[in-house]
Amino acid sequence: MSPLSGVAPMSVPPAAFLAAGTLLFVIGLVGALLKRNALSIFLSIELMMNAVNLLFLTYGRMRGDAASHVIVFFVIAIAAAEAAVGLAVFVALFRARQTIEVDRVNLLKW
Amino acid sequence: MNADLVLFALAAGLAIAFALAMVVQKTPVRSVLSLVVTFFGIAVLSVMLAAPFIAAIIMIVYAGAILVLFLFVIMLLNLNEEAREKESRPVQRALGLVAALALGGLLLGITLRAGTPPVAGPAAGARIPSVDEIPVVGRLLFSDYLFAFEASAVLLLAAAVGALILSRRRME
Repeated sequence: MSPLSGVAPMSVPPAAFLAAGTLLFVIGLVGALLKRNALSIFLSIELMMNAVNLLFLTYGRMRGDAASHVIVFFVIAIAAAEAAVGLAVFVALFRARQTIEVDRVNLLKW
Repeated sequence: MNADLVLFALAAGLAIAFALAMVVQKTPVRSVLSLVVTFFGIAVLSVMLAAPFIAAIIMIVYAGAILVLFLFVIMLLNLNEEAREKESRPVQRALGLVAALALGGLLLGITLRAGTPPVAGPAAGARIPSVDEIPVVGRLLFSDYLFAFEASAVLLLAAAVGALILSRRRME
């Protein structure tokens, strides 16, 4: 565990950061479940990832551990890869079906 | 002390308000732009958590690259108002909302009741933000997490090639 040295004590209670991160995650979850446009669902998922990043940073700050920053770094790298592939899938889907509403993409539904 | 609380309330309130706006918005372009503001708020919170490097990455990679990619795709597909001819599947939407709120309440309760471990002791020469962050993270990245780092390089290459192949027009 690599400690983060030279960091001032937290003047805002960590629970406030945890609450904010969880709330953002829940908002993203509601969006991902309720939106019908594939692009909006994707945006909600990006929001959920960032909320989790915030939680990682909070816990890392509480433990004084810099490994959380590395994990967040990887999460962001994977989010970038995911965005590239996902958006390419949407473009291909739009070419084939002229829509990216997930309700209308039901070829594999019984 | 007090200024920190005010800053936290501003940043967190901004992030949450614009996240809600993102979900409520019907136009994809407005959703993306609301999310940019949310990311600004999250970046401010990251700086408050002594992670200025992560805050910079969030601004550069997320707001600067990923969301611009979203905007490009919206422009390419010419998506404006999502044409909702009829409110499709009302039962499923209600169930989805209930499920999301139940799971969300559960998560919030667990996170807040889990108890907070004692905050690591402050160093003597306390300063915000941590000047040590980048060397520490860089050293970890190239020692303990070297394999994951190299693997993510391969992953990004694969994603770039995959995106090219997926979005290519059929040439037969």
